[in-house]
Order: sequence, then C-alpha cells, then structure tokens
Amino acid sequence: MLEVKLHDIGEGMTEAVVIHYFVKKGDDVKADQPLVEVQTDKMVAEIPSPAAGTVLDIFVPEGQTIAVGTTLLSLQTEAVGHEQAKEQAAVTVEAEVEIESEPVIGEPARTNESKTKPQRILASPYTRKIAREHGIDLSLIQGTGPAGRITDEDVYRYLQGQQAPTQQEQATQLVAPAAEREPASVTVTKEETKEEMIIPFRGRRKQIAKKMTQSLFTIPHCTHFEEIDVTELIALREELKEHNVNISATAFFIKALSLALKQFPIFNAKLDEENECIRLEKEHHFGIAVDTEEGLIVPVIKNIEKKSLRQIHEEAKALTKKAMENQLSLAEMTGGTFTISNVGPLGGSIGATPIINYPEVALVAFHKTKKRPVVLENDEIAVRSMMNLSMSFDHRVADGATAVAFTNYFAKRIENPKLMLMELI
Amino acid sequence: MVVGELAHERDVVIIGAGPGGYHAAIRAAQLGLTVTLVEKEELGGVCLNKGCIPSKVFAHAAQSMTSVQHMNDMGIEWAHVAFHPGKLQQYKTKVMSQLRQGVEALCKANKIEVMKGTAFFLAENRIGVEKGDAFDVYRFRYAMIATGASLVSPASIHVDHKRVLNAYSIYGLEELPEHLVVYGSDYIALEVATSFRAFGVNVSLILEADDFAFDSSINRELQRLLKKMKVKVYKNSRLIKAANDGEQVTVSLSVKEQETVTIEGSHLFVSCRLQANIEELGIERLDLERTEEGFIRVDAQSRTTLPHIFAVGDVTGGPALAVKAIKQGKVAAETMAGKQSEADTTFLPTIVHSIPPIASVGLTEEEAKDQYKDVRIGQFPLTGNGYASIIGQKDGFIKVISDADSEMVLGVHMMGAGTIELISSGVIGLEMVGREEDWKFPLYPHPSINEGLLEAVEALGAEAIHLLPLKQKGAVSS
Repeated sequence: MLEVKLHDIGEGMTEAVVIHYFVKKGDDVKADQPLVEVQTDKMVAEIPSPAAGTVLDIFVPEGQTIAVGTTLLSLQTEAVGHEQAKEQAAVTVEAEVEIESEPVIGEPARTNESKTKPQRILASPYTRKIAREHGIDLSLIQGTGPAGRITDEDVYRYLQGQQAPTQQEQATQLVAPAAEREPASVTVTKEETKEEMIIPFRGRRKQIAKKMTQSLFTIPHCTHFEEIDVTELIALREELKEHNVNISATAFFIKALSLALKQFPIFNAKLDEENECIRLEKEHHFGIAVDTEEGLIVPVIKNIEKKSLRQIHEEAKALTKKAMENQLSLAEMTGGTFTISNVGPLGGSIGATPIINYPEVALVAFHKTKKRPVVLENDEIAVRSMMNLSMSFDHRVADGATAVAFTNYFAKRIENPKLMLMELI
Repeated sequence: MVVGELAHERDVVIIGAGPGGYHAAIRAAQLGLTVTLVEKEELGGVCLNKGCIPSKVFAHAAQSMTSVQHMNDMGIEWAHVAFHPGKLQQYKTKVMSQLRQGVEALCKANKIEVMKGTAFFLAENRIGVEKGDAFDVYRFRYAMIATGASLVSPASIHVDHKRVLNAYSIYGLEELPEHLVVYGSDYIALEVATSFRAFGVNVSLILEADDFAFDSSINRELQRLLKKMKVKVYKNSRLIKAANDGEQVTVSLSVKEQETVTIEGSHLFVSCRLQANIEELGIERLDLERTEEGFIRVDAQSRTTLPHIFAVGDVTGGPALAVKAIKQGKVAAETMAGKQSEADTTFLPTIVHSIPPIASVGLTEEEAKDQYKDVRIGQFPLTGNGYASIIGQKDGFIKVISDADSEMVLGVHMMGAGTIELISSGVIGLEMVGREEDWKFPLYPHPSINEGLLEAVEALGAEAIHLLPLKQKGAVSS
C-alpha cells in the first residue's frame, strides 16, 4: 500500500486546504494522474499520483486544512491487483459504518454497569484529553494512526473540519473595499448544532491577518490625503479610445507613480535596520491589490520603469484575471517594491488609511472619481472630475514633506498627462 | 444579607469524607477553591475504617501465615508459631489511625475546613450542617454528595455481627471461627474465605452462580487452588435459611433448586448488596435523577442532573470500589474548577487480595470472543518464572488476550504473587492502545514476576521462552 501525503510545496507553506478530489475510493489511477487539488495561502496545486494503482481510502475530507506530511489517501499499487484492492476498500467502508453505530463514549450509562460494552475508542488518554478540551466526541473520528488509532493530529484535523465549510455550503458576500484591508469577502457557514455563525480563520484570511499585524506593529504608519483633478486624463483616455487604444486609468497611475519614484526613490526602498541602512531599489516592481472571493491578494508587475503604458495595462489585466481565478504562480506574487490599491471601481470610498505591504515603504490607494464643482485659477467655478488618493508611508524612512512633494509630482502628471511624455523613455 | 440567617460562603461543600470525598476536597483546594468537607463519622469513610484497609490487614496477615512453611524451608525457624487475632485487631487499629491522621494532616495543609456533623440540603445552593446543638448554613457554588452506600443483608438472614457477619463486622472478630460459612462470590467473599482459611479456619464457600465472575482461566485456577486449600465450594446454591442459636449457625441450601443441603458452621459471613446513603440528605427537594437501583445518576464528569451538584463513589452505583470513587472525586473537582475532565471505567482494574491474589483488566476471553472475530490467547504459568520459584509462590498464571487481526491487546488477567502490583502495567498498556509489539518491546526487570507478563505476551505468538512449544500452540484459539 502506498500513502499519498501532502508534500512541502515550498515558500515556507506548512498547510493547505483540500479543495477537490479528482478520484474516489476504488478508482483506478495512472501514474502522474492528478489525484487531489489543494490550495495554500497563495496558490492552488494538484498532487499527482506517484504510481499506478487503485485508490484504497481517502482520509481527509474536502474543505479541511491539513499540515504538510499529512496522509491524504492510500493507494493499492498495481502489483497486488485491482480486485483485491477494491475488496479492501469495500471492507473499510463497512467497518466505518459499524463504528458509527457504536454507542457514544462518556454516557452516564457507563458508570452504571450496562451489559453491552461500547466498542473501544482507540486513543491514548492524552489524545482523549485534547478531544475533551475541544468538546469533541472521539467516537465520531476515524483514526489515521497505527491500526486506526486516533492521533492528536486527527483530533485537530477534525476540529478544523468541523468549522470548515464544504465548497457547496459556502455563501460568499462582498462587504468591504480592499484598500481598507478589511475582509474582502466573508465566508459564512451555518452550523446546525450552534447558534452563532462561524467564519473560518485560516488559509488566505489568516495569512492576510499575519501580514497586516506584522506591518502595523513594525511600521509607524503615516497617511496623507490628496485631491487630484483627473478631467484631463479622462479626456486623453477618450481620445485614445477613438484610436482603438484602451489604456486603463490604473496604468496611467502606475506609470506616473513610477516617474515620481525616480524623483523620490526613498518610497521605493526597504529599511534594513540590522545593517542600519535604507536600501533604495533600482527596479520598480508594483504590487496591485486585487479583491477576490477568498480575500485580498497582491500580484506584482515587474519593472514598471521599463514598460510602456500598454504593457502595463495588459499585464495588470492578465494578473488580475489570474488572481480572481486563483491561478497566480509564486513568482507572480513576490518581489514587490511598492503597492497600489485602486478602490475607485468599488465605489463609495473617499479616503482610507491603508496598511503598508511590509517590508515596503509606501502604498497609494486611489478612491472614487466624482464630478465636483471646482474653483479654477481664474476664479470661475467649473465641473471637474476629482479623485482622492491616500498615501501611507513608513515614517521611519521618510517624512511628511517628502510624501507631499511626491504626491504633488504625481498629481501634476495626472492633471497634465502630456507632461508625462517628456519623461517617457 | 438576609437578617436571621448568616450563611458561610464556600466554593465547594462536600458531604462525606470517604476516599471520593477527601480526594475531591484536596484536588478542589489544589485548584484554588475554598472547600468545606462534612463527615458525620470518621475521615476516610468505609474504605479506611471498615472496608479496604481492615480487610487488607487481614489478607496481609493471612498471606504472612502461608509463608511460615516457606520460611522454614529456607532455614528460618521458630519453636512455636501462634496467631492471636486480638493482636491483629490492635495492629489494624494502629494502621487505620495512622492513615486517618495522614488524611487529616493533608486536609489541614490544603486549608480544607473539615466539619464533623450531619449535612443536608436546604435548597439548591445551601447546605445545613448539624453538630450537636450547633447548626451552620453554607451557601455553595458547587456541592458534592459522597455519602457512600450501606450494606443490606438478604431478607432471609439476620446479621447479628457475632455469629452472622457482614463485610464490616467480619474484620472485627477477636477470635477465629471454627468453621466459617461464606455466602457470596464477590471479591470480599473470596478474601474472607482465603484469609480465614490461611489462619487455619475451616471454610465452606457458597456460590449462587455456577462459577466465579472472572475470566474462565482464573475461575478454573481459583477452583483448583480452593480445593488444594481444602475450602469446600458449593455452586448453584441458594441460601434458604440460616438458623443461629448463638453457638452454631445452621445453613440450609437449595442446590440447583433440586436437593437441600445443610451445613453446620460456627459462623456465617454474608455478602450484601449496597444501598445508596441518601436518606436524610434532603435531596428529594432537589429532584435529582436516580437509577433503577436508587443510586444517584451521574455523567462522566460525575454531575447529577443539577449541573452544579456532583455525586461520586458508591452513592452513584456501579462497582463499589474506592478506585472509582477516587477518580470520580478528582474529575468532579476538576470540572468545578473549569477543567475538562472525564472518568471512564472501561479499564477499571479488578483486584482481589485473595491467596493467591487476582488482578484483572480489560476484556475476558469470553467477552473478547464476543466482540472480535479472531482472538489470540497467551498464557504463562508462574511455575515457569524464576522469581516465583525463589519466593516459593508458584501458583497462578498471567494471561493476555489480543485481537489477532490488529494485534491490539484486549485484556490482561493474572493470578499469583505480585500480580496486583503488576496489573498497572496492564492498565497503562490498554489505555495506550498498545499492540503486541508495544508490550514485547520494553525491557522487563529480571528476576521478577514482571517477566511473566512479557512471556504471556510472547506466548500470543508462541514465542515465550519458558513455555513448551506444545503449550503455546494449544493456547491459540479463534
């Protein structure tokens, strides 16, 4: 018999959620055939079959979070023969049914002598204590330890599974803009046994929490707000559309920010406290906050400083799509030097205090563009398209005046997009 | 505060200072609760004052008597050997009083308030304690009923505690009976029968059932040894009448409901059933759920149907063993302190301080065959154990039962010298869900009776060294 385990998928990931099995008990599988799909905090992966054979048993139900090293399923390899394996699988099924019908442990009847002795619970007293402390009935757990023993792991796994929804049960709901780094989506599961609603705190949600906490507890944040007139930019985009060129506002923002960073490289830097220095990054790798059902994720467009507006536009579009489909590779999610978050399309937001994507130095959020009456230089009142931005920066690294100078530089280029031409390489 | 009634505030009030009660009191105090322990008689309860301790003083003395011949064999000789039951009583009293003082000191050191008096519930949160003319009221967060149970003699028998005795009065005898008729098959009856026989008393043992209630191998060995000891055993026998004229007790038996047999004895010992001590507790006010036999019903945390009132030990029914009361008491105290605790008696060891002693835990061979498809038996006689030869106690055996399929050990049954101490290994092995290799792998001290356990486990796979191949193959059954 061959056990298929969740192996180390790199990047320090220690756990994954079982999303979907491509096979079921008794199925014949070929070598390298995908057996199961798992999702880590960052990506989705398929685990292929290490050998040809028959699926004997599946140990971890879909929706559960498991640690690296956990056995997912067992295979009867070909040498033994399919029929025997299928028989064994069938026997296991029967055994499970028997276990389920056994009396529950800890019934008062046990202290008063009863004639029918309950089937033994295969768990050591220590494991039983863990179960008690979490209010788990061990008779409901199928052990994965030696000879079906219930291990500590099994109890923890059951505990997580109990709170984890299966895919079908998931009901998703969009509640908050990503720039505020509130839960971008909330998965709500109603448990039959409990009154309260439970949202699993694991996977990406947990990863987000970890990063946010690390950032906010490390970086003294300072956020300043700016108002930018984007009327000219809108006009330029309309003009381009007439030539069948569609470039998103975000692409212009990214390019303009990159130009500003050339003047103010302090915001494209990393603080190296250990070596008492600030490292200015030459390359502009922009993280773009994307709101997905599973929560916030930040794909990275590399080398903005070398890319055209069109390239930036196309790449941003492609990465966002991948992010929505959980198809991002590790390389596409790492290496950022600066982050933007465009919450304008979500509507409603006029300002925020974004949390910096640690260990970067700054982050800019763009809010909704609205038509507003504006007093022009000549004291006339005109209707202009105005957009607010919020910029958070690491106050250890830079000061408010520099940040204002930075956004001024940026604003000038957005308000007069033609100016950008002067600087494009 | 209500005028006219000054109630003492306590986290826990425990009624009854037997093993269940005092273990609970100390554990609760260890966990930071304020505890009042109320006892109307003596600290230590039946266990220390009437049951376990007195009976084991006798069993120990009896065992010592049996070793006299062995000592002679080793060259330790006396001109004259005599046994004075009166002196044993003094020894018993001394042991009991030492142990009681120990409990008292522990309670004091743990800052437990010990109240001598009679307690009863005034309401769901108040207990009154009466001591002579004094009356105190305690308001509690948690209460525990640890009042134990009392012996109830069969209706046909009048226990006068002189010639007709029960489990308490038998160990108060200052003189040895001439012919003791023992009516019962529980562990107390067996201890009485073998202890008094060792003192030289003629013993007849009457069983209502057709056999003892142990694993079949123990039943067989026990019967052989009783015969060797010259204890006459009557099976399938029901006592119809016990006539006590103050000099002699004439016992009439109906054997297999067919013939009537009369036994002339000087004394009769009767095993009794137990009845929960709940009279005068005022619990009818609380409406606690009771079992069919009238015991207080509790869950695995020893909670009654009122979640802040607990009950432990004999008052809750089930096996009337101190080990159960002690566990329940600790679990209840831990539960009161907010811990997740549980009492599970699946692997409650059964021990009999008979001669030789019996110790057993887990499934018997019969139960195992009932629940598992293929069962393996490994049995090792102590005649094959070196240390048993050294100490001259070669009677008995160690038997281990396992599931052939998973190799999980299901039960351990022992009889012979040292087995009561050894059974803890069995309990731990079973609790740890040990399989045969888990039991075979460890090192067992040599020379000692422990090795008998190893060889019994090895015999499961016909690998015991000090056992003939033939015997081992015969032991495998399915």
